[in-house]
Amino acid sequence: MSANERILAVEHHVPAAESRTRIGAFFSQPISWVFLVVGGIIGFLSLYPTFFLFYGSLMDAPLGVPGHFTLQNYVRAYTDPEAYPLLLNSFIFGLGASGLSVVFALTLAWITIRTNAPFRRLFELTAIIPNILPPILVSISWVMLLNPSNGLINGGLVKLFGLAKGPFNIYSIPGLIFVEALILTPLAFLIIAAAMKSMDPSLEESAKTLGSSEFSVMTRITFPLMRPAILAAATLNFVRAVESFDTPAIIALPARIEVFTTKIWREALGSFPTNHNLAAAYGVGILMIALLFVYLYRRFTSQVESFSTVTGKGFRPHQIDLGAGRYLASAVAFLLLLLLVMLPILVLLLVAILPYYHVPTWQTWSHLTLDHFRYIWATPRVHKAFANSLLLALLGATICMLLASVASYITVRTKLAGRSIIEGLIFIPWAFPGTALALGLLWAYIDFPIPVYATIWIILIAYVTRFLPYGMRAVSSTIIQIHKELEEASVACGAGFLATFRRVLIPMMRPGVMAGWIILMTIFMREFSATLFLYSPGSEPLGPLLYFLYLDGMRGRVAAIGLVISVISVILIAIAQHYSRWESE
Amino acid sequence: MRKKIHSFTASLGLMFFVVAPAYSQSAQLIEAAKKEGKVAVYGSLESDTGDAVFRLFKKKTGIEVDYWRASATKVMDRALSEYRAGKPLFDVILTNDNPMQIMFKEGIFAKYDSPSAKDFPKDAIDPNLGPRYRNVIIGVVYNKSIINPAEAPKSLEDLVKPQYRGKLVMPDPTQHTTTTQWVASLEKLMGKEKAGKYIRDLAAQKPVLVESLLPAAERVATGETPIAITYVKYGYIFGQKGAPLDYVRLGKMMGDGHYLTLDKKAPHPNAGKALIDFFLGPESMSTMAKMGEFVNRKGIYPPLPDADKIQFVEMYDLDSKQFAEKKKEYQQIFLR
Repeated sequence: MSANERILAVEHHVPAAESRTRIGAFFSQPISWVFLVVGGIIGFLSLYPTFFLFYGSLMDAPLGVPGHFTLQNYVRAYTDPEAYPLLLNSFIFGLGASGLSVVFALTLAWITIRTNAPFRRLFELTAIIPNILPPILVSISWVMLLNPSNGLINGGLVKLFGLAKGPFNIYSIPGLIFVEALILTPLAFLIIAAAMKSMDPSLEESAKTLGSSEFSVMTRITFPLMRPAILAAATLNFVRAVESFDTPAIIALPARIEVFTTKIWREALGSFPTNHNLAAAYGVGILMIALLFVYLYRRFTSQVESFSTVTGKGFRPHQIDLGAGRYLASAVAFLLLLLLVMLPILVLLLVAILPYYHVPTWQTWSHLTLDHFRYIWATPRVHKAFANSLLLALLGATICMLLASVASYITVRTKLAGRSIIEGLIFIPWAFPGTALALGLLWAYIDFPIPVYATIWIILIAYVTRFLPYGMRAVSSTIIQIHKELEEASVACGAGFLATFRRVLIPMMRPGVMAGWIILMTIFMREFSATLFLYSPGSEPLGPLLYFLYLDGMRGRVAAIGLVISVISVILIAIAQHYSRWESE
Repeated sequence: MRKKIHSFTASLGLMFFVVAPAYSQSAQLIEAAKKEGKVAVYGSLESDTGDAVFRLFKKKTGIEVDYWRASATKVMDRALSEYRAGKPLFDVILTNDNPMQIMFKEGIFAKYDSPSAKDFPKDAIDPNLGPRYRNVIIGVVYNKSIINPAEAPKSLEDLVKPQYRGKLVMPDPTQHTTTTQWVASLEKLMGKEKAGKYIRDLAAQKPVLVESLLPAAERVATGETPIAITYVKYGYIFGQKGAPLDYVRLGKMMGDGHYLTLDKKAPHPNAGKALIDFFLGPESMSTMAKMGEFVNRKGIYPPLPDADKIQFVEMYDLDSKQFAEKKKEYQQIFLR
């Protein structure tokens, strides 16, 4: 009998009469103590800063100013008839971007993980790069490539085919969805690829033995088994698209397409002075959408056992021999990576070596400069920011994944009462706009007994608080696939919870843990919205540095730093992958 | 030639200021400031410009400047939040008029009459905030390689002519606060009735709307859109990098004033005062002007052709209610 089953057995055993026994049984299990400690940490991180935002959403004065209780912020946010068509636009945008990103990610993951397509390892590594680049840079790159008046691709096609005008217009709903999907693909790729690495080949092999083709195995066995990971990726990306402001600001605004975040910006975050009370009321709405999606995700994946494909019988997924088709698979992966990585990086490189960005002509070559890279080399402030960001990325991602692994185990595997609350708690801070949450964090920690305000540690707290859902989703979609029999075997052999967790579950969860770690590490290398109010000059990381360079019109420097961040992150990812040896386990 | 004359005049002016009153900060204040060791500044002045001035200050006094740079709204949000929580970590605030007035009303500033203020024109001194050290001026900037200077617009009224339809980019006045202010203040240049019609005509030109003044200038520099309503200084800044930009000589141009003041609970009050004195002084103002800023200290101009001929008109200050009303009104006009 496993530890949890013992708890369950106790729970079903005449509860009224033996409540003391139940409490005793609860506290006699190490998992209960782990639950209390991890739940306590997550609860504090989540509720403490968001309390200020909830409180603010119900007040008529800014935080710190005496005010009165009011529901006016909610009335204003949700009774405006204008809000609902914009919500519909956001829904279409979110669904389109999230769906397309999952299609891109699934295709890329299948080719790189499950087939023998040439260069698949290289493709796998490069697919993560767009997650390193600030989303705003990716959007700007695509505007430079596909704007109707002088976009590089449009211009090239006009010259090549003698067209009257460029065939593409980035300033449109399809353009908006396309660019956001490209930004969101790496996150989906990491989650889906991690789950794909943990596939049991026996089901696929059985189907093949019974005469199914490779295509039929893929559509009828492989992808349905991937459902938790696909849903996890789609859920995260949908909410991320709905709450994103950067891409709509750059692409939708010139096209005069309005989405819900445009309204939040106009009325709350971009208003003067900023109306944080209203922003928090909007944040509560986004929180409800996020929690609805978490609920739907849990419903779709509630039959946990049916996704358990990693058993004690060996789980190395087999590689599909595509024959001559492997070159076609490589070509498809190459095309996707051209869109995801190469074209935006080429534009950034161009921006980084030009004194100011313009459509290149023959004269351009005489103006090329390395000044923007020299700036990185010669500026101590930039060096300090790199050091701060590296510390935050490595430490933050590790702490997040540690918490996420334990929290995922508790929510997916145990029957402990209150386990689903942990998942809800994790999603609360994530649903608020970054700037609004940053203000909540400022209020929470400015007068905290441990003096963390204006140090690098408050940024670490902010990162863990805001981005835990990414780690949680990545790792829980892997845990779902691990069959209970492995843990049970460990317990039967006399191992306690901690030993089983460390020696059986962590190695099995490794693909998900690594995927989450990489997602978080790359985000922390350039995060700025939650950081902006919290850093002080000595603790400045790269995100705010990029932000103010962008604010000052220093695109060349931003692009150069973006490229250096990409190179450093790719090296870190390669090292992490090498040492985790997830392929060889 | 004119450029040379300007920089010669500026240099002469600088020599005069540097040599004559030398350095107006009292030795006592500097000594007290040195004991405090550093000064913390929250501001919206561009980092390169700020860094250049703060480097000079450090060279002169040995005092380190910790500069936190953000947009004006964020500067105000952080400063007010810290102040209300009783933990202000800043000594000096450096940003534009509207947020400065709000912070002043909240009572977060200390009154400090800097001796350097005497070299600013009387009409550039606010009774509460002191000298308006720079003006950020909004005008019309165009790409010379796309629009022949002879065919460029000559006035704001020209922008609504049919030949410029679809060629104009501007920040969205329903989103971007400074642009809301600019559009609302057009009546200061044109009168109420004419301005009302002009705003509707401008919207009818279907300008490309972007999020703020910088992306508007960038689109002109890259050639994506040939004409922009943006900060005039971008014409100089992008021009320095080789972009073929010029600005329309409108004569009267509207903009915003920027101020700097001392925090009432400054952790380093003497260092803060020393910085303010230096910041408003000739060396700092000349450095800023050379980087394209329209500073208000007498006789110092940016190296932009005809900079001395620009007549600055300060935009209206709007309160939060007026901003909300104007944004709603412009939504009907610009986004219909």
